[in-house]
Parts: sequence; C-alpha cells; structure tokens
Amino acid sequence: MGFTAKYRNEIGLVVAIMAVILFTLIFDQAYIDLPGLNIKTILQQTALLGVFSLGAAIVIIAGGIDLSSGSVIVFSGSICTLVMLACSPVSYPSGPNNPGTAEMVDLGWSAVMLAIGVSVLVGLLIGTLHTWLITVIKLPPFVATLASLVGLRSLAKVLNPAFTEAMGLERITTLNATSIRFGILSEWWVSVVVFLVLSLACYVLMNHTVWGRHIYALGGNEEAARLSGIRTDRMKWAAYSIGAVTASIAGVLYVAKVGSVNPANMGVGYELNAIAAAVVGGCSLRGGLGLIPGVMLGVLFLRVVIDSINKVVDRGSDDFQGMIVGFLVVLAVAVNEYRRQGAGQRLAFFPGMLGVLMAIILGVLIGAVVFVASSLTYGVIVGGVVFVLVNAARFAQRDTGS
Amino acid sequence: MSDIISIRSVTKRYPGVVALSDVTLDIRKGELHSICGENGAGKSTLMKVLAGVITEYEGELRVRDEPFRFGGTRDAEDAGISIIHQELNLVEGLSAAANIFLGREIRKSFGLLDDAKMEQAAGQLLTELECNVAPSQSAGSMRVGDQQLVEIAKALSLETDILIMDEPTSALTDAEVERLYRVIDKLRGRGVTILYISHKMNEIFRLSDRVTVLRDGRLIETVDREKTSPREITHLMVGREIEETKIGDGRSAGDVVLEVDGLSLPWPGHARQWRLQDVNFSLRRGEIVGIAGLMGAGRTELLECLFGASDDPPQGRIVLEGRDVRFRHPSEAQAAGVAMVTEDRKRFGLFSHMSVGENITICNLEDVATQGVVSGRREAEMAAGVVDQLSVKTAGIGEPVTSLSGGNQQKTIIGRWLLTEPKVLLLDDPTRGVDVGAKAELYQLMDKLCNDGLGILVTSSELPELLTLCDRILVLCEGRLTAELSRSEATEQKIMEAATLTGEVA
Repeated sequence: MGFTAKYRNEIGLVVAIMAVILFTLIFDQAYIDLPGLNIKTILQQTALLGVFSLGAAIVIIAGGIDLSSGSVIVFSGSICTLVMLACSPVSYPSGPNNPGTAEMVDLGWSAVMLAIGVSVLVGLLIGTLHTWLITVIKLPPFVATLASLVGLRSLAKVLNPAFTEAMGLERITTLNATSIRFGILSEWWVSVVVFLVLSLACYVLMNHTVWGRHIYALGGNEEAARLSGIRTDRMKWAAYSIGAVTASIAGVLYVAKVGSVNPANMGVGYELNAIAAAVVGGCSLRGGLGLIPGVMLGVLFLRVVIDSINKVVDRGSDDFQGMIVGFLVVLAVAVNEYRRQGAGQRLAFFPGMLGVLMAIILGVLIGAVVFVASSLTYGVIVGGVVFVLVNAARFAQRDTGS
Repeated sequence: MSDIISIRSVTKRYPGVVALSDVTLDIRKGELHSICGENGAGKSTLMKVLAGVITEYEGELRVRDEPFRFGGTRDAEDAGISIIHQELNLVEGLSAAANIFLGREIRKSFGLLDDAKMEQAAGQLLTELECNVAPSQSAGSMRVGDQQLVEIAKALSLETDILIMDEPTSALTDAEVERLYRVIDKLRGRGVTILYISHKMNEIFRLSDRVTVLRDGRLIETVDREKTSPREITHLMVGREIEETKIGDGRSAGDVVLEVDGLSLPWPGHARQWRLQDVNFSLRRGEIVGIAGLMGAGRTELLECLFGASDDPPQGRIVLEGRDVRFRHPSEAQAAGVAMVTEDRKRFGLFSHMSVGENITICNLEDVATQGVVSGRREAEMAAGVVDQLSVKTAGIGEPVTSLSGGNQQKTIIGRWLLTEPKVLLLDDPTRGVDVGAKAELYQLMDKLCNDGLGILVTSSELPELLTLCDRILVLCEGRLTAELSRSEATEQKIMEAATLTGEVA
C-alpha cells in the first residue's frame, strides 16, 4: 500500500485544516494581528484535548469505548491538588481549633512530582477497574465507563471537602492549586511537549510493538484474536489503562492551567470531544482501524474549526463548541459508513415520511443556527432555502426511482 | 391439482457456488414430505426460497397453481407458508403471546395493545399443542421444545397450511420429540402440508409420506416411504462416485502425540446436557485423523476443547506428549505446541483490516521483536518466507488480506500457525469456501506437513475429503463417538450410518 493510500485520511485532514485557517484569515483579522498568541492558544488547546484523545483513540481502536475521560480528568486533578495540599505547610490563623488554610506557594519539586505520580497511578487504577468490570463482570464497555463518568465526578465532589477537613482545614470543594513550580505546567509549551511525547509513545506502541498489533487485532476481530492465542483481556487492560492514564495526565495539565479544580464544572463533556477527535481522525467505532497521526490531526482540526467559528461568529464563543463537535462527528462517521457500504450506489437520503420531517427539521435547525450566528432575517431565509432544497432532493430521488 | 406447491427448475447461484441446480419438485396437498441430504446439499437453500427468505433465484414457484415470487417472508406468510428455523426466531424478552402476535398485534380502542385477548388466543393455541407454558411467560425463560411450539403456534395463528420444519428435533429431549410427533399428527389432521428437513432416518421413516433426497444442490430422487429403506436413502444421500485420489498411502505413523481420555463438555441448560460425552481417541505423529459428523455433532467443540478455546472447561484427560494438559486459553495451547485453524475464516480467523503479512505474523510477533518492539524487516522476512513456502498467491505481503482468494486466505492462516512450530495441528473444515483446485493444493500441503511429523486432526462436512486425506476417521453423533474407522474400512455409507445413529445407542 502506497503512502497516499495509507494516509488518505490524514492528507484529507491536512487539507481541511489549511482550508479552515484560510477561511478564518479571510473573515477575521485576529490571526494576522496577533499570530503568536493565536498559535500558542490553539496549540495549547490542541495539546490538552490531544493528550486524552490519544487514550480515547486507543480504546476505540481496541474495539471499546471510554466515556469516563471528563470525570477522570477532574478526579485525577482533584487527587493531584489534594496531594499537594497534604504536602503544604498549614497555617492556623486563630488558634489550633479553628480550621486553617494551606499555603502551597512554595512547594518543592518533589511534592509536585509526587502529586503528578499519584494522579497517574490513580489513572492506572481507574483503567484497571474498567478492565475488571468489562472482562470479568462482563459489562459492556459503554456501561462500565458510563458508571465512572457519573461516579467519579460525584466522588471528587465529596472527597475534596472530606479530605481537606481530615487535614485540619476548612471543608473546601473547589481547591486552589497555586504552587509556583506546579504553575509552570500551565505554560503553553509544557502541554505541547507532553502531547508530542505522548503521541510519539503511542505511535511507537501502536505501530511498532507486539502490543500495538495485538490491540489492532483485538479491535478488528476479537474472537479471531483470542483464537490466535492473543491474551485479549490483557490487551483490553492495556487499552483502558492508557485511556484513563492519559486522561489523568490531562487532568493535571488542566488544573495547572486553570489554577484550581472545581468538580462541578471542570472537564464536563470532554470525553465526547476526545471521541469526536478520534473519529474525525479516522478511528472506526467498530474497532481495528485508526492511526495515531490521524488522531493528532483530528484533534488539531477540531480545535482549529472551533477557534475559527469563535473568531468569525464573534458571539456566543464557547457555546458553539458542542454544535461543531456534534456536526463533525456525524459528518465523519457518515462519510466513513458511506465509503464502506455505499460505494457506487446512490442512496436516497430523504425517504418517505422521514424525508418530509427531515425537510422541516433541517430547515428549522440550520435556520436557528444562522439566526443566533447573525440575524433573524438571515435565519428565516436560510431556513427556508434549506427546506426547499431538501424537498427538491426528495423529488429528485423519487424521479430516479430509488 | 392435488399439488399444493410446484417448484419448477429453481436454481440459486452464489458467487462461485451453485447452491441449487435446476430443482423441480411437487408437494402434494396434506402430505408430510421429508427433504434429506448431507450438509451443504441445498436443503436449507430450497426451504429459504419457499419461505421468501431468498428472493433472488432462477426458475418458477407455484403455490396452489398460482405463480408466486415472494419479496420477503411476509409474502410467503400471506400465501400460507411458514418456516420453523433450526435457530428459533423468538424475541426472548417478549411473552409467548407477544411473540405469537408479533407484527399483527390485537389492539383495542386508541390503538392500545389488547394483551388479555392476545394471551387468551395464545393460550388456546398452546393448549392445543400440549404446551404447558403460560402465554405471559417470556420466551427466553422457556425450554427449547416449548419455544419451538410457540413458533408453531405462531404459524397456526397465521392460518398457515404449509409448514416447513428445519431439523426440528435437533435440540429436543426424547419426551419433547414424542410430543412434537403428536403435534405433527394433529397438524396433519387439520390438513396442513408439512415439509420436514432432517437427516435422521428413524424420524423420516416414522413421519413421512414421501422422501426427497438432495445432493450437491441437485434433486436426486423423490421416493414413497413404503417403497424405500433407510439404507437406500443414505446411499442416495452419499451416492456420488468417489474419485479415487487417495493421497499419502505410504505414511507411517510415529508415536502417540495426543491422547484424549473420557473427554466431556457440559452444555448447561440444554436438553442434551453434553456437547461432548466421553470421547476417547489418540493421535500419532505423522498421522491425519478425520472427524466426521453432521452439523451440531460436536466436531468444532472437540477441537476447541483441545485448543483451550471452549466456553466451559472440558472434563476428562487430554495428554500431550505424555503430559496431562489443561489449557485455559488458546495462548497456553499455542505455547504447548497445539495450533488450530478455525472454521469460518471470516469470523474466527482473518483480520480483514490487516495485510497478508500482518495476518501471517500475528501469532509470532515476539519472535521478530526486541523488548516488544517489532522489527519491520524481520517481520517482512518471516511473512515472505511463509508466502514462499506455502506458495500463497499474492501481489505482496503488504496487500490487504481480503484481496486474496479463499484458498490463499486459508494458506495464510495455516502459515500463521505453522510459524508457531506446532506438534498437533487442528484444522476445522479447512476447505470450506475454497475452490476445487485450491482444495487439491491444501490436501497436498496437509500430506506434506503430516510427513514432516505433525499430528493432524481435521474435520470436514465433505466425506470424500476425509476419505481422501485421513488415515483414520472418527465419527461423532450428538456429542458421542459412534465409530472409529481405519482407512481401509471407511466408506461414506458406514460414516453416514454412524453419524445418523440417534436414540438407538445408549
């Protein structure tokens, strides 16, 4: 297989990324005015999302799914901060019976490293828990990791105040992580370096090691893998552990960047962004397919599009993120499915009653998006045009007799 | 006019295979007509055409003197034809009544389901069929025999007058079989025409009016039951002239490499209780032993037990080179020198996303890796070596494995296992879906491996293949070993007799 055939998806993504950047350059001055700042911001955001997208992708390649990343991020972030608090000198402002405050400003490197190490270890344990639930208790991966998604965030919420109280401090849920040395992790290049190192490691693992090949085999055909003497349970353990550990590392980086950890809102919904990045990057949710360079580009593409929309639309900013991710995932999976089964044959996209309803739904949906992005008039016009177009498509497909 | 179904020159082709070839058959109204034949003879294909499961075929189908071309099972049901598949088709989570009326639910005002009425109607049907389950009981919690009666009840509620039963007794206890016979009598009393697929002689001769034998997709003969004998039917089923191309006559078997003693594999929750029961045999170095048996006789299960791949752990002893072994995972079997090429390449063997080379090396990557990192060069050498050795026809080891023909895919998988340097090679129906020329090549390959000192255990649904290849043939019937035949004494007739020996041996 030639380079272009193997990396068709990746080449497509590079072209798409350039197209989006070009589009942004035409409609917005920001990239030209402040190129350095924009590049740093996009790269850091790409790196932060990328770190745990790598894990999400490996789980998907192994034929599973990890829905827990968002909560693993906040849980590990909390653990990291708690460890640093535990290492900090406590000052009691008004006598030993009153709750004190901890000062972590001057934490040494050893304390910071300990905190990071414990977080990574916690990730490993979470991944192991998932593996046990999936391989021994026989839960579907969806259920096992969904339970973590819901449970770990809740656990962080109750753990933080309980721990701080046990340390003799006041009960705190939102922890500050203000140590100077830990703060270095919030530099943009730290995230980028971590992401690149992890990417390289994952690339080598997946493309050049026995484990990697076995993970592809597991995802491609689990039964054949087992019957080929592959310890599929161990491979699952590897995949889910990588999934959780990368999320833990991302958790540490997010806490450093934000400077605090709030279990209520940190990392909410991030798991879906990671899955989206993996899918856009060419991983098939059926397993067995996907390349690490593709995932890296998928993450970059996702961030560039989000950034572009934020710049061009100019209002609502981050609120658009969900819509973009949702749309891109549908598009990426639809294109893959179309390629897989629809090669050559024309499909009817708007059949029967479903087609009638879709004309209305797509008209209203796209109209609404245009309305919030620009104005009511444009919204109504675009919505109307979409409605007419879908109906035209419905009649066109009827004529071809499909 | 007394013919309720006329099948006229029906041919069904699959890519590379003719499953049915110019079959012409008339079914009389009200008769019980048995269709028999070996695995792959075309019985199921013919029934699927009748039941509207297969809609693309050549030829004509007439029901009650009207030409029909079913677009789906619904059309066949409208024409009064229902099929009871071997694998039952019930929604396990729904009640018996809900299953019986699935898709035709009785409703009351506002479109709400009228469960009471459906359960009452279902109850009547089930009582009539001597089925003692409550109509509200969920299908998944019933015994197989009762599930089958629920399907029959469903067919009756459709006012079916032509009922196709595909090996209906294969999963039933003796008592359930007797009950089924009574139900069949009752149905015939109502004038229902029954097409009965089976290869069990005692059933066929107890129930049928006429018997049709299919072989290799062709209709061989239709005979009245009174005018024939089980011996004649088995002969017709096997019938073909055997090409005397026996290979490997000069083999000399070495010492025993594998010994199986009292091997049993439980079958929890099934009427038969045992997938395999008290199987004993031995395999020598440089010997090919064949395992014959009908579908569901336990061939695959036996190989899986030897390979540590069975779902439940087997009981009894497996002795490999004089040492007792108990494999809990295929990787342990692999390490001990047992290799298995699974049946159904696509589902259990191939990694279709991967290249030819990757498919070959998947079991042996450790051999070309340092500290877990695979050397691309050494891996390519290993794969290329296998491609040369087995003369796999491929444009290169980097090609997708799906681009190869069936025979070459099979060689790829055999090559994968030869790299593990096995002492015992288990081959589960290795020539299925492989064309004739490639089959001969595979035979020669097996012969060569055997001469190199491998002990080979091979299953096949094609008897001539086993007769050509094997030094000895073991025959399984419903999980029990019913015959062990040496090359000189084995004939298709003897094998078929042993393979259909049901109920008569304790």
